[in-house]
Amino acid sequence: MSGGVLPMEGLRVLDHGHVWAGPLLAEMFADMGADVIRVQAPGRFSGISMAGRGSLAAGPAAPDDPRAYQGWDRGKRSVSLDLAHPDGKRLYLALVAKSDVIVENFAPRVLPGLGLGYEVLREANPRIVLASLSAAGATPGPWRELLTYGPSLAALYGVKSVQGYAGEAQPREDTADLDPTAAAHAFVAVCAVLEYRERTGRGQHIDIAQGEATIQRIAEPVMDYLLNGRVAGPQGNRYPGVAPHGVYPAVGEDRWIAIVARDEREWGALIEVAGEAGGRLREARFATLAGRLAAQDALDEAIGAWTERRDAGALTAALQAAGVPAYPVMDPPALLADPNYGVLRECHVRVETAHGIGRDQIYQGIPWKLTKTPGVIRLPVAATGEHNAEVYGELLGLDAAELERLRAAGVI
Amino acid sequence: MADAALEGLRVVEIGDFISAAYATKLLADLGADVVKVEPPEGDSTRRHGPFPGDEPHPERSGLFLFLNTNKRSVTIDRAREEGRALLRDLCARADLVVQNLPPAELQRLGLDYDALAASNPQLVMVSITVFGYDTPYRDWKGTALIATAASGLQHRIGDPGRPPLWLPYCAADFQGGVHGAIAAMMALRARRLSGEGQHAWLSIVEVIGTVMAGSGLGAYVFQGQLRSRSGFHNPGFYPWQVVPVRDGFFEVITMVDEQWARFVRLMGDPPWREDERLQNRWLSFQWSEELDAYWHPWMRERTKAELSALFREHRIAFQPVHTINEVVNSEHLRGRGFWAEVEHPVMGRTPIPGAPYRLSETPWAIRRPPPLLGQHTAEVIAEFGRGADEVAALREAGVIG
Repeated sequence: MSGGVLPMEGLRVLDHGHVWAGPLLAEMFADMGADVIRVQAPGRFSGISMAGRGSLAAGPAAPDDPRAYQGWDRGKRSVSLDLAHPDGKRLYLALVAKSDVIVENFAPRVLPGLGLGYEVLREANPRIVLASLSAAGATPGPWRELLTYGPSLAALYGVKSVQGYAGEAQPREDTADLDPTAAAHAFVAVCAVLEYRERTGRGQHIDIAQGEATIQRIAEPVMDYLLNGRVAGPQGNRYPGVAPHGVYPAVGEDRWIAIVARDEREWGALIEVAGEAGGRLREARFATLAGRLAAQDALDEAIGAWTERRDAGALTAALQAAGVPAYPVMDPPALLADPNYGVLRECHVRVETAHGIGRDQIYQGIPWKLTKTPGVIRLPVAATGEHNAEVYGELLGLDAAELERLRAAGVI
Repeated sequence: MADAALEGLRVVEIGDFISAAYATKLLADLGADVVKVEPPEGDSTRRHGPFPGDEPHPERSGLFLFLNTNKRSVTIDRAREEGRALLRDLCARADLVVQNLPPAELQRLGLDYDALAASNPQLVMVSITVFGYDTPYRDWKGTALIATAASGLQHRIGDPGRPPLWLPYCAADFQGGVHGAIAAMMALRARRLSGEGQHAWLSIVEVIGTVMAGSGLGAYVFQGQLRSRSGFHNPGFYPWQVVPVRDGFFEVITMVDEQWARFVRLMGDPPWREDERLQNRWLSFQWSEELDAYWHPWMRERTKAELSALFREHRIAFQPVHTINEVVNSEHLRGRGFWAEVEHPVMGRTPIPGAPYRLSETPWAIRRPPPLLGQHTAEVIAEFGRGADEVAALREAGVIG
């Protein structure tokens, strides 16, 4: 570690994020050393995600405890502020003047509607970088003010239409990756603008349509439509041009193994490992990629007949030893016992009984392994307004009497 | 108009297929100078379609075109010592190397971080692999499917009793790519503060398991919930599901009681709205089969267009499952100018998906079409001081293309 300086040290981020995409984006800055201040309306639930609410229904914590779930708000300070109040607006612009980045995932009309559009923010601080994550972008268009969640937005942008079993039109529900995909792209854009600011002294407004960030990951079927007019549907676990490419049954209740052979060497190694037991895999029609692609149903059946009497872990070890991509399909108990899970476990950080709720918290880990400047989780999730005195006092110089007046007026 | 946001950033991409290429595409499209190093036979995406008319051609792969906008291509034979020396020269003058080779192969080639940093201590290297560097499986073979299975995410997608499903079209590799770009931006900013380069690596398994919340560990460790697959439902709350309608499917999801009430009113306030099992929608999933039967028939009688109009009018967040053609031809994306175009020497004018974000002063832009195989080899090698004679000799010897 180089003198303990983290990559985002010295940056201040104002975070209006709600649900998932916005809070996650701001949290990435917090993990890497930025001073992130959550700005929330007074008295509101802390905006922790749907996952938090859903889990709370079954969990032991009081359902209205905003700190009870591993949200995407660790490492941040929290202030409350009524942006609609004239005093709130004044305080906010004072905060903007002392900040570098603003993260918001309101609908596009909201900030301008409060009289806090980019032009106003830039007036307060020409170096400010405003990252606006909306569903479908800030420019005019029929989807501009759509009410959506991540999963419905993924449907609107076509991502859902290719998620399911081959030959069946009905899409299957996935685990909702639109929000984190949008947040990740937004992080790259904000950092690029910070580089630009180093050269020019000027910030920028970044308009991130979450659907447009996510649609990048289905570029392959999109290109197929653009080039050939072909409309892809669900593909199961198959991937064009690669066979075998699938998930096969293994011994045990709901046990499966993923196996891929990308070329003739990997295929040859696979049938070596299968040996006598994989007799059908030696059929002539499977000897070439073209043959395997043409008879993929039969191929998958033959592999399944071989794997279903084997342990997924032992078979994975044998295939990997022969240089064939394979892994068991992991569930949480399997992950906890997995030697590879050391990677995951170390970064699911336990913050000892940190929240005054009498038990440990586990947070999602930090996956970017910067060998000299690794990230750090410095603060547990804060209650709304927990840092009002600290932030408004130390940063803006407000005294106790002024804070009390603002509190009485409902501004904070 | 100002220069591009990442103007002046010198990037070398070494590797194959999607993850490293997507990471550097994000940087190249924001103005970085990205040199893509390909083996003499070209990156494997050049042999992977989709190709126009399904005719394989190394300059006509739709996936390659998408992943390599704004880059230059050099071909270098890594199997030859002269080739590896050229690669080291290239990395010696770069700010950033992004690579996705297996760790053992990187070392064998003498391109590991310690070797490169010896001559370029300011170098940032980003390594994107399926398993990462601190695991006994670091040199195991991985692909996007393997990463999805290993992360815990796959276990939760699909039907009970049937094979768990991946996120199709190598979504895990794209996630590895964007998080590789993130690691690069973090390490470059650290370099600005400390003056030092460093090695930054990530495991795609871990990216999917943590940031993408795919592992399911939070709910399991904390609440003891072990969720397996539930088909077209997500068990988080009710409704969260993909429902058949007359001409396709609709995504039906809301956490907001008032929205659910508006939806039920649209159906004429049927008596079943009082069903006790619907009164706490965080718990309703366990009776979804019976509850679905109340309102699925109403949905099935209507088209995507009818339902979209109704739900928008009544401020309900349900959206149609658009097929790929419906997305590409949507008035919204066309109106926003989302689709970009490359002017390609072999393909001609070709549309591709456009910007993932819009920067107000330094817009995402196509400055160069995706490169032909080895198109910039001589130009790039000349930039680091090899004379024309030497370039010709290397080409003669088959070290470069």
